[in-house]
Amino acid sequence: MPIAVYRLLVLGITTLVVVAPLSLVIYQSFLTAPFFDPSAKVGLLAYSFVLADPDFWQAFWTTIVIAGGMAAIAVPLGAVLAFLMVRTDVPGRRYLEPMILIPIFVSAVVIAFGYVVAIGPVGILSTLAKDLLGFVPWNLYSLLALILIAGLTHVPHVYLYSAAALRGLSTDLEEAARVSGANPFRVALSVSLPMILPAILFAGVLVFFLGFELFGLPLVLGDPQDLLVLSTYLFKLTNKLGVPSYQLMAVVVVAIIAITAPLVFMQRMLLRQAQRYVSVRGKGLKTQPLPLHRWRWVAFAGIILWLFVTVVVPISGITLRSFVVTWGEGVRLLDVLTLDHYRELTDYPNVVRGIFNTLGIGVIGGAVAVACYTAIALAVHRWNSGWTRLVDYLVMVPRAMPGLVAGLALLWVFLFVPFLSPLKSTMVSIWLAYSIVWLAYGMRLVSGTLLQVAPELEEAARTAGASDLRVKRDVTVPLIKYGMLASWLLVFLIFVREYSTGIYLLGPGTEVIGSLLVSLWGTGAVDLVSALSVVNVVMIGVGLAVAVRLGVRLHG
Amino acid sequence: MRHVISAIFIATALALGSAAHAQAPQGYPADYAKIVDAAKKEGKVVISSTTDAVAANPLIKDFEALYPGIKVEYSDLNSTELYNRFIAEAAANNGTADVIWSSAMDLQVKLVADGHAAAYASPEIKALPKWAVWKDSAYGTTYEPITFVYNKRLVPEGDVPKDHTDLLKLLNAKTDFYKGKITAYDPERSGVGYLFCNADIKDFPQAWDLFKAMGKAQAKLYTSAGAMMERVTSGEHLIAYGVFGSYALGRSKKDPNLGIILPKDYTMVTSRVAFISKQAKNPNAGKLFLDYILSKRGQEIIANKADLYSLRSDVDGEATIKSVTQLIGDKARPVPIDQTLLENLDQAKRLAFLSKWQQAKKGQ
Repeated sequence: MPIAVYRLLVLGITTLVVVAPLSLVIYQSFLTAPFFDPSAKVGLLAYSFVLADPDFWQAFWTTIVIAGGMAAIAVPLGAVLAFLMVRTDVPGRRYLEPMILIPIFVSAVVIAFGYVVAIGPVGILSTLAKDLLGFVPWNLYSLLALILIAGLTHVPHVYLYSAAALRGLSTDLEEAARVSGANPFRVALSVSLPMILPAILFAGVLVFFLGFELFGLPLVLGDPQDLLVLSTYLFKLTNKLGVPSYQLMAVVVVAIIAITAPLVFMQRMLLRQAQRYVSVRGKGLKTQPLPLHRWRWVAFAGIILWLFVTVVVPISGITLRSFVVTWGEGVRLLDVLTLDHYRELTDYPNVVRGIFNTLGIGVIGGAVAVACYTAIALAVHRWNSGWTRLVDYLVMVPRAMPGLVAGLALLWVFLFVPFLSPLKSTMVSIWLAYSIVWLAYGMRLVSGTLLQVAPELEEAARTAGASDLRVKRDVTVPLIKYGMLASWLLVFLIFVREYSTGIYLLGPGTEVIGSLLVSLWGTGAVDLVSALSVVNVVMIGVGLAVAVRLGVRLHG
Repeated sequence: MRHVISAIFIATALALGSAAHAQAPQGYPADYAKIVDAAKKEGKVVISSTTDAVAANPLIKDFEALYPGIKVEYSDLNSTELYNRFIAEAAANNGTADVIWSSAMDLQVKLVADGHAAAYASPEIKALPKWAVWKDSAYGTTYEPITFVYNKRLVPEGDVPKDHTDLLKLLNAKTDFYKGKITAYDPERSGVGYLFCNADIKDFPQAWDLFKAMGKAQAKLYTSAGAMMERVTSGEHLIAYGVFGSYALGRSKKDPNLGIILPKDYTMVTSRVAFISKQAKNPNAGKLFLDYILSKRGQEIIANKADLYSLRSDVDGEATIKSVTQLIGDKARPVPIDQTLLENLDQAKRLAFLSKWQQAKKGQ
């Protein structure tokens, strides 16, 4: 097969897979009824309804406030954290690094459930505080708390990009500053951070963008205070008219895309700029970390405090809940301990299936997804053509759709494309949805590895007479084997964690832990939710441990 | 391992089952055996339901024991997702689940009214209350009182409301004590909540006063009974207004701190509605399952194992029409399964209600 055919094929399939669900959503938004309803007509009725709904605007502004607040918290903290970890002598950096990334890999619904149990109005820590102080000094169900939690859990995203940028920079300038007598604080503020400003900006836009995708946190924490963001407004919308209304949901999705698409575009611009900036790089000698002296332990305590609030509190909360019958004011926890919730898990055939399916989608699905991402990355690898730009944009498109909606659009695709419909209630549908939603992430992982392959070896093979495809198969792929393995692990973690994409595809045979959690939370089976959450966290913990053991860098 | 054993069991059952011809259950028409035979050929029944799997499990196991060779494929979804999936599947025209069994009575009636149900007169019709059967298509299967639940640890004995008027008085008298401590379904976000509110407006002249009092007490509104009960048992809230008695009963067995009240002035009673889909792939097995959950045998499990409350007057137990009548006499108000439920889905009416509700929520 000539390489052109291969490229065309890959390009064609990718375009189809990415564009079909999205165009279905856009088409649906211009109809007056579900697209399969014979009475559906083309019109702007859905737009006028949504745009006239005060709840929509309230959700819209709340989303903006949350996204902005999140970025305002996560960006400075993440940048400082990166500086501390990469440049200074904070104790225990080697052990802290994997822990810092935990919030990325733990499902937001799990974190949210954990917070309710730990620091909700009668949570375990709240009752403790009430006993000591006579009142609870925080209120979990407030906009402020939601922003704070969202911000703190997104610190690692900023950290990742800032740390990567810092690592790519030589330390000459910082050392110069140090020699001239600047203290570490001054070095960070006046030298290091300004140098990685493009990367920080990029991360800021990313976090703001992620704010629009937030679903698990507002679903759980916003419920009792009637707080809506755009993604949870979608839920409310289904009920407003009594019957679920796809066309209104589609309009909200289009509204979300209208905001996220420019953000994705902006991210690209910033990324390119960041790379240009960093191109003045030098390898630099291995240098001594900046000594913090007495601030060393203060910085350490700060990091530990942040980890305690974002990781330890929610995860211990949900774990505790999974071992007790009841909790709250006036309950002695020792009296109510139980293992029943775990035993109950096996009573539900769908939960048992869900656990196995989740492992399957992580291990097998992750591997197949990485194979697909590699196929796409290889198609554009060393291809000097405008088409590669198209692919770059193409893989970004699904990022603009929240997972919840991507799942719904795929359900429609699977229902109405005749040869696909037998696959609807199999894990294939879930796999396809996950792979599409995480396309951009996976592509970044794989192309990151490809970038490390120097052209000499490939050129050598070509000179020896190998065809383009042969070069890819026998030279490039073996060279990136380790990188693919690492990507597989990371995709495993992401797939096991994912919760929103599978919600609309959930049915017998397609249960995964993430969507089961949301669905069970809806029916109020909190006992099961907590036990299942712990199972999920354990899976992710094992995956993370393996990754750390193998020395996988936990980022692309 | 369990799967292997059950697979062997099913295989043996299949072998035995095909050897002998099926018998019609007692009191059923003689030609019912034909349905049973056809159902066995179909080999399975697919059920789409809002009843969670744990409650349904004893029913499924008993059904599979009664009709060896017919496997139950059961999936539980929330009512909106169930409706969404069903209409999409029906429109795609390549088959739906066989039995649709949902607690969203209005959406179920709409599906039947829209022609999605296959008409089938169950041999059990005579044993069912009149309000529970519509057009020989939609069948009520349970008798679930809508209750108040409260935290026995934290609600003072004298405060426990006996009926709706009591609750209204309590909220007006001790507004501060109960500030943020009352919880109810959110009619804006939950179809069930909307259904409940409208039933209250019909049955209780002071309904809007009660809603306003709840607004003044800054009631917290949820979309699921489970979330409400979790927070009542933890003490975050103290009294939950309008909780399915079935769920409350199940929960109170695990956690004795949960008190249940069937309001003495009137108690709304809802029923899970089941119908056989017109596009069922296994219509005969679907008929068997529907008849089974309506039968005395099925209803006994509904009453005593699933805690869903039986609607047959010949069934005894804690969760039955009999036990409810013992508690509140003739004050039960079952929601009839018929076209009046469609009014719930009237958009203009709905939007009008919601704007009035938003006022009430502010205590105005």
